[in-house]
Amino acid sequence: MTAPLDHNDVIELVREPIDPLPLVRHLRAPEDGAIVTFDGFVRNQSHDRATLYLDYEAYESMALGKMREIAAELHEKYPIDRVLIVHRLGRLEIGETSVFIAVSAPHRAAAFDACRFAIDTLKRTVPIWKKEYFEDGAVWADGELPPAPLATPRAKPAS
Amino acid sequence: MPPVSQTVRVKVLFFGRLKDVVRQSEESLYLSDASTIEQLFALYAGRIPELAKYRSSVVASRNQEFAAWDTLLRTGDEVAFLPPVSGG
Repeated sequence: MTAPLDHNDVIELVREPIDPLPLVRHLRAPEDGAIVTFDGFVRNQSHDRATLYLDYEAYESMALGKMREIAAELHEKYPIDRVLIVHRLGRLEIGETSVFIAVSAPHRAAAFDACRFAIDTLKRTVPIWKKEYFEDGAVWADGELPPAPLATPRAKPAS
Repeated sequence: MPPVSQTVRVKVLFFGRLKDVVRQSEESLYLSDASTIEQLFALYAGRIPELAKYRSSVVASRNQEFAAWDTLLRTGDEVAFLPPVSGG
């Protein structure tokens, strides 16, 4: 099931550096009064080890589907206008933006709440993985196991 | 190869550390009728014993949706085995 994409929303996986300012400008609409953004970027250490760089990979078709579902859920839950979720893949250097989220709304409270919900849900449900590279090797980052159905509903016949 | 009516053709994908363990990211294969996602995982775990220890920290998807382990596979399905996600 692919959630329909609101025509003003922007949901993307990119391999080039993310430049937040033009993205925020794109979201500004005269009927709104607030934009809340989340800029997630690469930290220089992990568990007290110095990070050299990160490498992100995704199950791209599913990741885009899940990101669209997040946007659709935001529109259902909060009185907001536009949603932008952009995640970068590939090799990222320290300080580079890995994910950028922006939510516009007529009033600030909904934009804050929706932005927080978006990043929290993305980190739990979107199939993207990062590998952390250190001086002495590389590890897949600890992550969260997405919630999945425990058993198939048997009521409906297979179609 | 058995008659097509008794087999389902599925595409299997591995990501993150699972891809490293299985040493491939993608494979198409034929399964017997009425195979579940659990049985598909067991097939790989039989081939690659190290994979079995990841079973409790894997979720599966069928056609880009999270799926239960008892999901019956149909021909043309795309199944992926996903370790804990770490985007953001």
